[in-house]
Amino acid sequence: MADLATDVLVVGSGAGGAISAAALAAAGRTVTVLEEGPWVDADALEPFSLDEMVAKYRHHGLAAALGSPAIAYAEGRCVGGSTEINSGLYHRLPDHLADEWRTSYGIEEFFPDALARYAERVEHELSVASMPGAPPPSSAALERGATKLGWRNVEFARVFSYDQNGRGTKQTMSRTMLPKAAAAGATIIPDCRVLRLLRRGDRIVGARCRRTHPGGGVERLTVTADHVFVCGGAVHTPALLQRSGIWRNVGNGLKMHPTIKIAARFPHPVDHGDVPTHRITEFSPFVAIGGSASRKGHVAMALADTGAPFHQALADWENISVYYAAIRSDGSGRVAALPGVRSPLVTYSLTEADVSRLARGLVHLGELLLAAGATELHPSVVGGAVVRRPDELGGWWDQVTRARANLMTVHLTSTVRMGENRARTGADSFGRVWGFRNLRVNDGALIPDAPGVNPQAAIMAIATRNCDHFLAEQ
Amino acid sequence: MLWFEREVVGALTESPEQSLRSSVEAFVDGSLRDMPEHLRLGVAGESVLLGAWVAGLRKAGRLPADDPHALVALLESWETSPVGVLRSYVRMLKSLVVFAENELAPAGAA
Repeated sequence: MADLATDVLVVGSGAGGAISAAALAAAGRTVTVLEEGPWVDADALEPFSLDEMVAKYRHHGLAAALGSPAIAYAEGRCVGGSTEINSGLYHRLPDHLADEWRTSYGIEEFFPDALARYAERVEHELSVASMPGAPPPSSAALERGATKLGWRNVEFARVFSYDQNGRGTKQTMSRTMLPKAAAAGATIIPDCRVLRLLRRGDRIVGARCRRTHPGGGVERLTVTADHVFVCGGAVHTPALLQRSGIWRNVGNGLKMHPTIKIAARFPHPVDHGDVPTHRITEFSPFVAIGGSASRKGHVAMALADTGAPFHQALADWENISVYYAAIRSDGSGRVAALPGVRSPLVTYSLTEADVSRLARGLVHLGELLLAAGATELHPSVVGGAVVRRPDELGGWWDQVTRARANLMTVHLTSTVRMGENRARTGADSFGRVWGFRNLRVNDGALIPDAPGVNPQAAIMAIATRNCDHFLAEQ
Repeated sequence: MLWFEREVVGALTESPEQSLRSSVEAFVDGSLRDMPEHLRLGVAGESVLLGAWVAGLRKAGRLPADDPHALVALLESWETSPVGVLRSYVRMLKSLVVFAENELAPAGAA
């Protein structure tokens, strides 16, 4: 058994973990980052490809929150976490949510202007930028449809750096904050799963881990630490805390953005290498409309969702792109570590209002795509009618049911909520887990509710804020 | 991958090209191995029960043996079943096969 000692142990290397590691190492702390997944060269695999799914996604992307219906979800499991596999879209936390959460959960120093300052820091460090030049056809379709209908829409910035030719490179954590952390002295250990945290009274003194070596050998590793930041994401952060015997307001209150899709056929070819950057905000915060990855495999999968023969449509796949409507759900779920089992049980309950909202989102998405010039719409609803005219959209209201809708999500939050309201939170206003002096959470688990927009920017700003607070406190 | 899962994957894979069929099967096998254990346990349990059910249908002469089209038709009926776990079972395997077959097919292949 090997042993390591560190000042700060960071568990997880995604948006929260990498930002924590870089900030704390830059402040002179001795930092060790443990990442369960492997180091994968960010340039080695095509985005959204099958190879990327195998190499970087947890469970090959095959995980689901159980419920009626089950909701598929995807997470990264590699150095850099989900920042390595997501679309890199960046949207600051809306001000009204900061106000609402500060009041509801008693979060101290959680004012929009303060968060905006942290967001600016993140944007400066990561080169957050808008795509230069004209949008690609799949994104232009969203803008065109919204303009025709008079709906509000916005082109999101992305965590991308663009060269003079307009070629973008996603600024994943393995390309940005983790190298910064390493340059400031941090040690990053991939293929190292933290089995549980070691407690002594009201302190965490370290972690017991299982490290896999490239040759396949496995060793037990014990890391002792003065401070521990758990940043494994909204599923694996609470699971680790629970495995370590910490259950109070941990794992309950899971929130997500359930998402329903349409494969839309256009009379012209659309792009397939990236995701559209335009989003429709007309129905925010409860329904957001945007575009998804649309490689041939995604198009085929989306077409197959109706359950009807799809090969004729697939022959024209280069004219097809996949779009989504995501809702801000009233429902909630749970993450529960099961004794002796590696993966936590994840459940989620949609409300009837959520199902209705999904139907509404699907119909609005259909309206928009037809207005944008789409000629055929295939909804991700088993038995859902293929629609070619606006007057046919009304049929979807009755077809979106728990039994027939195929739902997924990539946004999971809120399993260790932050704030001073101890009845509703698992951690204080700056992520310190209640009952422990030196244990902090610093990832999407802290966000008190689903924000209705991509949560990456909020996670990064809050993680930066919490690190500042930690350093000021020491 | 259990024997009935292999049969379902084989029935859902459309390409006659053997190397592509093998690649699709290998991808689905890897995905099932990597699933959360409790989900894999549930899927495996369903595979055993459904496999026994299909074997019973074949023995009773109600489902032609060695006819993948008959099995596909049965799977399609399960996709709209009122039983949630049955629906999920078919949709999951079908999604994996459809995604893999289209991603692994050589560019330009029909």
